[in-house]
Amino acid sequence: MDKITLGTKNVSIEFPGVKALSNVDFELETGKIHAVMGANGAGKSTLMKVLAGANPTYTGDVLYNGKVVEIRKPADAKALGIQIVYQEVDMALIPSLSVAENVMFNHLVMNMGKKQMVNWAYIRKEAQAVLERLNIQLDVNALVGSLSLAQKQMVLIARAIQSSCNFLILDEPTAPLSDTETTELFRLCKHLIATENLSITFISHRIHEVLQICDSYTVMRNGEIVDNCPITPETTSKEIVDKMLGRSFESSFPARHATIGEKSLVVEHLTERDHKIQDVSFYVRKGEVVGIAGLVGAGKSELCKTLFGALKKSSGTITLNGKELKIRNPSDAVRNRLALVPEERRKEGVLVHETVDFNLSAACLGKFCKLSFVNRAKTAANANHFVESLGIKTPSIFQLVRNLSGGNQQKVVIGKWLSADCDVYIFDEPTKGVDVGAKAEIFKLINAIAEAGNCVIYASCENTEILSVTDRTYVMFDGKIMAELETAKTSEDEIMHYAVGGTEAYVAG
Amino acid sequence: MNALTKKKSAGRTLLDWAAVIVLLLSIAVFSIIRGDAFFSVRNATNILVAMSITTIFAIGATVTMAPDGFDMSACTLASFSSYIFASSFLWFGLPLWASALVTILFTMVMYLLTMFLILVCKIPDMLATCSLMFVHQGMGLWWTGGGAVSSGMPTRWGTTPIRAGWTEGFLAIGKSPWCIIIMLLCVLFAFIFLNYTKHGRYLYAMGGNKMAAKLSGINVKKYRFVAGMVTAVFIAVGAMVVCSRNSAAQITGCDNYLMPSLAAVFVGRSVGGAEKPNALGTMIGAALVAVLENGLTMTGVVYYVLPAVKGAVLALALIAAYATKKED
Repeated sequence: MDKITLGTKNVSIEFPGVKALSNVDFELETGKIHAVMGANGAGKSTLMKVLAGANPTYTGDVLYNGKVVEIRKPADAKALGIQIVYQEVDMALIPSLSVAENVMFNHLVMNMGKKQMVNWAYIRKEAQAVLERLNIQLDVNALVGSLSLAQKQMVLIARAIQSSCNFLILDEPTAPLSDTETTELFRLCKHLIATENLSITFISHRIHEVLQICDSYTVMRNGEIVDNCPITPETTSKEIVDKMLGRSFESSFPARHATIGEKSLVVEHLTERDHKIQDVSFYVRKGEVVGIAGLVGAGKSELCKTLFGALKKSSGTITLNGKELKIRNPSDAVRNRLALVPEERRKEGVLVHETVDFNLSAACLGKFCKLSFVNRAKTAANANHFVESLGIKTPSIFQLVRNLSGGNQQKVVIGKWLSADCDVYIFDEPTKGVDVGAKAEIFKLINAIAEAGNCVIYASCENTEILSVTDRTYVMFDGKIMAELETAKTSEDEIMHYAVGGTEAYVAG
Repeated sequence: MNALTKKKSAGRTLLDWAAVIVLLLSIAVFSIIRGDAFFSVRNATNILVAMSITTIFAIGATVTMAPDGFDMSACTLASFSSYIFASSFLWFGLPLWASALVTILFTMVMYLLTMFLILVCKIPDMLATCSLMFVHQGMGLWWTGGGAVSSGMPTRWGTTPIRAGWTEGFLAIGKSPWCIIIMLLCVLFAFIFLNYTKHGRYLYAMGGNKMAAKLSGINVKKYRFVAGMVTAVFIAVGAMVVCSRNSAAQITGCDNYLMPSLAAVFVGRSVGGAEKPNALGTMIGAALVAVLENGLTMTGVVYYVLPAVKGAVLALALIAAYATKKED
């Protein structure tokens, strides 16, 4: 088996306004497992998409065995034996077809030529052979819809291997898997490396897993390669975290001066029904902003949704001002004066086809009603009040929300809850897709909400924001709270240490 | 790996075969109650004749629903096609085979309109075919001049038809054994088309995950069109059987087959754990309804409550399919 290499030289990509990749040099070699690491938005996925042909606008060269090749569409990548398994496995699978067909799907679509009939015996035999090569036991006649997530991933890996494959890229493969499933995936990877002329690339946030299985790693930050290193027994997670973070720090955040009162919201042993969050306990005091830090997929959104009743809890208690809350659905949560500013603003936060006026009164329409008839004058007064006090930029309160900018839409969501006069405000990634100016205004709003004596929960994967906005922070990993940190006494390094699954106490330095 | 493989639960397996079990059970029960009157070759033939039309329309619906399409207007189009069939045979005196050919071609041409609304105008299937229902009804009656097409009646222009009446061959289509043979051929064709040709598998791939199918290189619009054209042929065949059975192209003669045929597809969806519209399941679904109707009538249940039984069967099939689903 001759070694094959795949590399990039001076590869750059610019998206409008952002340099997603700049002058990336990087190399993969068959027979090795390589990790690509970096914080959210570092450019890992962008780089992998270049190799997979999903980013046709790159500049610079992609080198295959040292020779320049053009990878401008997915078919080009496949022809070179580059296969990628994306994190969202359900996107690529067809649940109502059998395992055999899903494994052989490329063959069914691409290689049939003039043949009209499907040779079932051949499809099953080939699929079975691929699964055996991978040492996976799966019934080829089972429907993919009935498989577990881990098994679906195996089916996709089998599909990749079935076509010619020299470079297998796995995008965050372990994020949705349990420990046993992860072990099984690692066994499969090692088996593949040992038996095929193959290179595996892991995109991952999880340092301990990378240290366990990979031969080398690349760290990226802000679209650049920070370092390409082999992994030796001496490699520590701390040095990788340092490389991931770099030493940049921006401060454009308003000062906090809320007076913090007694404990108000107390959550104990909260577990979500499908174990997306497990045994989470924390508290929020009056006037306090509490951060929920962690990487994408750590369970922050799930925690917010479980508090709000949008996901079902299986055990645990939520107490507000000494009274236990029975929250079975979001409607219960609103009645108990909880507010959620959700992550997917356009999908979950605002009614985009409605007016600013309607959105601002949507959470508490009852307040503006008499005998179930809406008093238009009252809702308009309410809307005008919040448009002015929150500085929502809109030509009129009867403008449709979909015509506003992202930051202004977010203010409408916040205004909706302010007019409902809640006690607990939960913010889930409120600055996503919001420009810098609007960001600062949103932070001011959050401060003002806390100063009025409310509880604020602020979930974000941007650690700089967590450090600036919050008083205390809980760091989540894998659905569990790893650490409680006093914001004034912590650092980005410490948060990152726990966010990547560090269990031993953090040592600064 | 064994840690990851999970066994299908007994309850799930039972649900997968529920339609077949209920079918066999009802045959057993009716046989016990009514003895040879129910369990005989003659009655079996009756049941097969009764289910043949529903099955043919249901097979058409199966092909449409495989790629996650839907057609509310299938049976109004069939009524229109049956006017064409009867008028080309009686009014214009075409031979039987030519009338059949004209009917099939006509139905396919009419189906181009459906495909135009769905594929070019991008109207959701349900809404597009909903509006076409009325188009078919109105245009069909315009063609007949507002009445049925039957023997001994003048054409819409008031002239005497070229052919005075039906022939033996024409009337045989709707009777045993021919209608049963036609039904079985339709089921066989759809079974092979959906399961053993690449086209059928692409249709199922689209039904399962349209995005993945598209990104894998399947021309989804082309295959939705193929599904539509195959469906049109089944609609035409169904229309001809109805026309022959009634010895006339009655006004809205086929319209009432829509709901039973959709019910048959839904009942058949889960048969054998297929989890998708499939030809054999559809036939079992149609058979279940026919057996229940036949048996209940024999045991003295009055005919006008039978729709309630049909409805209950459909509801139970839907409960099996949806209530047991895991919530996301």
